[in-house]
Amino acid sequence: MTDRTGWQDAVEPELRAVGRELEVPPASDLTTAVRRRLEEQAVSRRRMPAVGAGVLRHRLGWRAALVVVVALLAVLIATPQGRAVISHVFRFAGVELRQGPGPARPPGSTALPGERQMSLEQARRQVSFPILVPGALGRPGEVVVSDRGRIVSLIYRRTPHGLVRMDEFAGHLDQLYFEKFVHLGNVAKVGVNGTKGLWITGPQELMYITRDGTPAVASARLTTGNTLIWGTRQVAARLEGNLGKTAALAIASSAH
Amino acid sequence: MRRAIDDAEAIARARDGDLDAYAVLVARYTLRAHRAAFLLGAGEEADDVVQEAFVKAFRHLSRFRAGEPFGPWLLRIVANETRNLTRSRRRRAALALRLPAAESSGAAAGGPVDVVLAAERRERLVRAMNGLPDRERQVLVCRYFLDLSEAETARVLAWPLGSVKSRTARALNRLRGLLVPPDQERVTND
Repeated sequence: MTDRTGWQDAVEPELRAVGRELEVPPASDLTTAVRRRLEEQAVSRRRMPAVGAGVLRHRLGWRAALVVVVALLAVLIATPQGRAVISHVFRFAGVELRQGPGPARPPGSTALPGERQMSLEQARRQVSFPILVPGALGRPGEVVVSDRGRIVSLIYRRTPHGLVRMDEFAGHLDQLYFEKFVHLGNVAKVGVNGTKGLWITGPQELMYITRDGTPAVASARLTTGNTLIWGTRQVAARLEGNLGKTAALAIASSAH
Repeated sequence: MRRAIDDAEAIARARDGDLDAYAVLVARYTLRAHRAAFLLGAGEEADDVVQEAFVKAFRHLSRFRAGEPFGPWLLRIVANETRNLTRSRRRRAALALRLPAAESSGAAAGGPVDVVLAAERRERLVRAMNGLPDRERQVLVCRYFLDLSEAETARVLAWPLGSVKSRTARALNRLRGLLVPPDQERVTND
């Protein structure tokens, strides 16, 4: 058997051998995600004064940026200027807004990755954030958890406003980007329960962005009606339906 | 058109805003960066860390000195991002290095004696690594798992070269101490 000296001296080569055997999960291909972020930065830098952009980046820090990192990407196509080349890119509560042509939508039904329908109670156990339920709409008709607990969707099929959908995710309210929304013609800032929110009128192209920052093309769809986006400290939500602003704000205020 | 370009050329072009050239670097260094982030403690968040590191590296390309190797320069940013992450978790890097389960248990189950012993020893080594203080584990990860030289390790961890040397020595000693098998320990104590 190995003597004590041999046992000791073997450490360095053995560490190298262990290093070759260690389990490292596969790396994602990041070229698309990195490129997209650099393109966005180039756009926002052109839009914002250089100093502002620097302060913004500095104050946000990378951790905030990671938390904020797109959960959903809304591409506004409703306005004429929206059809021009992308001119605005903003993030708010985990949602990234772009003004520009929407992506080519694949035919057939659209879905978020890994959709699973379950009870509200089951969903609460599956996701890491507290699920907001708008009391004004009662219990949701369907509760769908997608992408291994990253998104939960409450679906109400029969409301006075028709189909209403509320997507929730671990977004983060980012006030620093918020002021920039004034550039967008059909986006307005609103107050929801004392926090800031965004009211977006008209249909938008909506696409889900996966954990690694790549768009899930199969999820691309045209939204119906108008959308309200807001967030609390722990959860961000987008409420979508054929709703007026007052009704949307009332529903949002009833969510807890 | 798709001629392979070397790092220096890709960096020079990326610095002028050429995102295609930068994509070449991203593709070329993703695996190394990901391995480094994972082993330094980013765990499941290694992809996020690497993405952030590439975005930051692009912004800081103007500070890159021509002729310098790109790998350690990038890994320094990766290591820094990983540190920010583990600090923000406010807990010890949730690393837990692991050997492939199938191989170790398979060998232990019915392999020849020397294979069983080697597997057992590697598992002890990994357990010992997981038990080291953060800095000592980091230096060993850089030197032995990422195959970086002492100078490169100093660059990546942003430490003086002397600290790399002294912490490596200390960490190896500690590992040796942790690795002495119980029966031999008894012999030396006699």
